[in-house]
Amino acid sequence: MSEEVSRGRAWFERFAAGGARADGFPASVLVADAPLDGLPVRWVAVVPAPQARFPRARSGEMGIDEAFGVAAAVRGVPPNSAIVALVDAPGQAFGIREEAIGLQRALAASVDAYVQARRSGHPVAALIVGKAISGAFLAHGMQAGWIGALDDPGVDVHVMSEPAVARVTRMQRSDLARIASEVPATARDIASFARFGAIDALFEVADPQAPTDEEYASVARALGAALRDGSGLRLPGERLNRPAAIQTRALARRVRGELATGWDG
Amino acid sequence: MTPHIGDSYAERNARERARALLDPGEFREVLGPFARLRSPYLAAQGVTSQSDDGVVVARGTLGGARACVVATDGRFLGGAIGEIGGAKIAASLELARRDAERGTPTRVVLAFDSGGIRLQEANLGLLAIAEICDAVVALRAHQPVVAVIAGRVGVYGGISIVTALCNEVIVTEGARIGLNGPDVVETEAGADEFDAANRPLVWKVTGGRRRFAQGHATALVADDMPDIRAAVEDAFVRNGPFVAIERPEFPDPGLEREAFLRAYGITP
Repeated sequence: MSEEVSRGRAWFERFAAGGARADGFPASVLVADAPLDGLPVRWVAVVPAPQARFPRARSGEMGIDEAFGVAAAVRGVPPNSAIVALVDAPGQAFGIREEAIGLQRALAASVDAYVQARRSGHPVAALIVGKAISGAFLAHGMQAGWIGALDDPGVDVHVMSEPAVARVTRMQRSDLARIASEVPATARDIASFARFGAIDALFEVADPQAPTDEEYASVARALGAALRDGSGLRLPGERLNRPAAIQTRALARRVRGELATGWDG
Repeated sequence: MTPHIGDSYAERNARERARALLDPGEFREVLGPFARLRSPYLAAQGVTSQSDDGVVVARGTLGGARACVVATDGRFLGGAIGEIGGAKIAASLELARRDAERGTPTRVVLAFDSGGIRLQEANLGLLAIAEICDAVVALRAHQPVVAVIAGRVGVYGGISIVTALCNEVIVTEGARIGLNGPDVVETEAGADEFDAANRPLVWKVTGGRRRFAQGHATALVADDMPDIRAAVEDAFVRNGPFVAIERPEFPDPGLEREAFLRAYGITP
């Protein structure tokens, strides 16, 4: 398995082949307009860029330039085009430059762009091909109406790295690993995340960096269907109604119901 | 502007903050502590839960108008958002949007004091934050969404993103706004990058005064209840549109750390 090309770039190049690369973005933000089975689609990926100007955002992290770049790509989506976020982000950038500038604003710009695009009728899908961590995933992927993921151990969804969790919660890393195996809400694998109804399709791919033609075709087919059938327009709150969520998110469903009942007294 | 002794916002707990933000005598909590909505995930991890899960939803009036204050309890697990608390916030925003669409608007004030997503129920917190972001943007299309960041914790993580999506952000000097807490930056990047024990530096980089100067907050007020109430009232009267978040000007990030900070007006 080759590791020279990031998973995000590999899948982007596959989908973008035959399309038009959009320029004016930082080297870490890949944007292309390429049709999927006749449907116009804007593809957006964040990839490692060793030459990136922020020292803490050179390995695929979502930093200032990446988040504002994604926001610009989404705001600039051509009319009648769908959007696909290819997600392979080890997390947000951790640096004092980012905090001084206000990385939360950059991530919010990207979230805002995705929400507005989806709410104004652009179907949005996300495909998790690698890591989908915390702020990076919130800003690039989680606002999609439909989320697919590779069923692969390298696909990872979580909120904070294990050492940082240990520091913040003052727990031992060995205890954290045990808890993750007992409480899916704290687990980091894609199957645990899918249990909450947040993943619409899982794809088995032998080599996530180099899918075969058949593997690629099956992912493309599912994406195309989701972008055409209205799935890409669904609100994040609708995930609570997926069959998997009925039990696993029963508390959230109950809170929403009871709050609505008590809202006006 | 001298704060009256005993009228501090920061010293109040979440419930008292909500009460003090609403018009006097107008406070009705929805799903309060007697609803006994406790996080089962905390118990499973040996952490004490709380019967309101650290989020207070209070209905009442604000300047005579129908209102809802959502206050997170920074004293309980740093105000971090889990499944129950996250659902309370998302549902309040969605109900307010429904009210706006029906022509009976409800003002919403988000009195945040939160370290972000609760790590003990991380995946559920992450899902909730995505719903909250969507709901803020949807409500914003009808009316201002106002955040008050004036507690001891400040806002970090997912909640700092939600705050940035609000039309109006009211801060005090003691408030902090950042994506990654200094502890987390230090763990991920080392104390040479961000020394979390250097409290003056933390406030120089993420403090309310700084964020106001950067335009990340729309009002900087004293930690004084009447001032904060007046700022909230102003925010609704002004009824300003959301100003799209654009990439700001900043020094060359290729500069060495200290040079970058100095060029940005921060003395490390």
